[in-house]
Amino acid sequence: MNSPYDTFAMKHMVRELSELSMKLIKGAETLSGIDEIDVGTAPKELVYEEDKLKLYHYKPEGKVTCRVPVLIVYAMVNRQYMLDLQPDRSIVRNLLQHGLDLYIIDWGYPTKADMYMTMDDYINGYLNNCVDFIRQASKKEKINIMGICQGGTFSGIYSALYPEKVKNLITLVAPFDFATNDGLLFRWAKHMNVDALVDAYRIIPGDFLNSGFLMLMPISLNVRKYVDMLDIMGDREKLLNFLRMEKWIFDSPGQAGECLRQFIKDCYQGNKLVKGELKVGDKLVDLKDITMPLLNIYASADHLVPPAATKPLNDLVGTADKTLYEFKGGHIGVFVGSKSQKELSPAIAAWLHERDGEGPLKAKPVVKKSGARHANQEEKDRRIKPQSARINNKVIPKKKKTK
Amino acid sequence: MESNNNFFDAWLKSQELIIENLAESTKNFQHAFCGLGVNKPGENDFLHVYTSWTTAVLNSLREMDTTDMGLLKETLSKALGGSNSYTKLFEIWLPLFKAIQEKGMNPYTYKDLSNPAEYKKILDQVFGFDPDAISQVSAQVKKFIDTFACSAGSFMNPWVEASRKSLKTFPQFLEGHPESFMSIFHNMFNAFDGTVGRIFHVPAVGKDREKIELLMRSLDDLSVYLAKSTEYQHMMYVTGLAAFEKVIATVAEKISRGEEIKGFDEFFDLWVDVSERTYHALFQTEDFSKMQGEVLEASVNARKHFFKLMELHLYDFPIALRSEMDDLYKTIYELKKKVNGLEKQLKEVSA
Repeated sequence: MNSPYDTFAMKHMVRELSELSMKLIKGAETLSGIDEIDVGTAPKELVYEEDKLKLYHYKPEGKVTCRVPVLIVYAMVNRQYMLDLQPDRSIVRNLLQHGLDLYIIDWGYPTKADMYMTMDDYINGYLNNCVDFIRQASKKEKINIMGICQGGTFSGIYSALYPEKVKNLITLVAPFDFATNDGLLFRWAKHMNVDALVDAYRIIPGDFLNSGFLMLMPISLNVRKYVDMLDIMGDREKLLNFLRMEKWIFDSPGQAGECLRQFIKDCYQGNKLVKGELKVGDKLVDLKDITMPLLNIYASADHLVPPAATKPLNDLVGTADKTLYEFKGGHIGVFVGSKSQKELSPAIAAWLHERDGEGPLKAKPVVKKSGARHANQEEKDRRIKPQSARINNKVIPKKKKTK
Repeated sequence: MESNNNFFDAWLKSQELIIENLAESTKNFQHAFCGLGVNKPGENDFLHVYTSWTTAVLNSLREMDTTDMGLLKETLSKALGGSNSYTKLFEIWLPLFKAIQEKGMNPYTYKDLSNPAEYKKILDQVFGFDPDAISQVSAQVKKFIDTFACSAGSFMNPWVEASRKSLKTFPQFLEGHPESFMSIFHNMFNAFDGTVGRIFHVPAVGKDREKIELLMRSLDDLSVYLAKSTEYQHMMYVTGLAAFEKVIATVAEKISRGEEIKGFDEFFDLWVDVSERTYHALFQTEDFSKMQGEVLEASVNARKHFFKLMELHLYDFPIALRSEMDDLYKTIYELKKKVNGLEKQLKEVSA
């Protein structure tokens, strides 16, 4: 029998180390050849803006077959272009190709001038104004809302407060029940003195929030990821995709202090949303008022927003038409995973098409996983032309093209 | 006349010095306080062979003017940081490999050969800890106080020196003796209480009273922050070391079973996996959550009072201060809300 100690051949180890260095050199050369890391490339038009908020309307890719437009509400802690991170893995492009008419909110980068902005301002103010704009532009009484992560929580709150304006609600990896300790962020937030934090910073730096995310898997995210990156650094396309994700991860807007104060205290620490005690402005939020059809999507391996925080929504809403969709993967996989493109986006489109009619809908049972099936085919050829409009004296630039 | 000029020259120089120190202190404060959990790669320059090459690459990147250049530089820097940790781990394992080859398998030998001080550097890299920054803050605060109070140097020295000595003994905490760790801080606080701390017991008088009180409050906050931060880092180091020992035990077990160890990458994978699981177990404890909350609170309190102190010093300058701007923002915010409300009402009436 060979001595096991002989397996520690120094020459092999030196070779490994030398290979690592060579990859680094090669990778740096590739890096220096990259001029721009393009993200969010699906064509869209700026249709409404208010303060730092911008509302974009995507150009259709093919025929619009779903009559009711969809407003995408992303979280404020990261940028909304995650949904269109790379051309071949883009939920936005995928949904457009499935005939949806999409709008998306860009919350912008708050500065100290925005430090007094509250949840009331974001939900009853900005979000409500965007919804009203789209209702007016599309001539629809109600529109569809697809809220993601924190944006999903805000969308849920909004839908409970304004059910008359929301036709269908989709929530993606959005926390509602904050009592859980399954996710580390939920556990840590309970011991955070958010008053001291907000009083000291006013606008909470994006880097601060990022440091919390990195702490969830410190070795993997600070060391392993960059060692693994060396393996793909010689491949320009793979490296570009890596850089697109890096760009998104570290492109973190600061958070308006007062809004974050209430979000942490009332939701993470007080779990008031589930208890029916959350007040946004002068309005008390009752999730039972979510009476429109609901598609609640959670990720089974989500370490940021664990299923225990997302799934309970279906038991709290007032609608009978509620679907619970399990995505087998993690928080980020929901947006850029191959399963997301092949299964999730078509399922969302199918669910919306099924509920695109004007008449009353039959109640649907809660299912574990929704099947992707196109309905209302007769609507397929109907198309909504993007319109310009003017609302609340806010200027909407006409024909302003953006990437 | 000349003596008057000298006096004002001296006054001007002293003011400039205060501002310079203030700016430097601020920079260091931010460096220290923003470091929690943030990786700062490339600080431990391990790739001596590649230093000149790296510099050349970074210089060439610097010359390129594109919108994403910041991210590209950052990514390269992180790649260097990742390689740094990888190589450092390799350096730590090297004597263990040799021992395995030369002396035969003995887990206790491995433990003796491990180098906590070197391992600490990896953990510093991972968690973005920068003990030097804290020492620098202490030194800067001392410098600031010296300038501020002109004659306070001897008063401050014992406390600052005690802090500095304590911080220098950081690696020894890795041996895992919380009681010695706490006694060092007791010494530090005793030194503080015997010098600067005395001021807390004496009623301050005169026009600089507010400044002195705030200064003392800031120093107190800083002491609390340093203590909490050190305790937090200690927790992370001890956990890291425990993970490291688990890796050694796993390797020893493998060897005893006659299993083949193919290369360093296998150790690296094992190290990542075991470390991540060990840290995750720590992060899930109530103690860790509380400690993290306390460090955060201490850091933001220190920051808040330090900025107040800055404001007091800048009060007479022809610039808008933070608190004044906050008031202005509040007024604008309230006015905007009122205007939006009125616009809405007007629209409803005219509809």
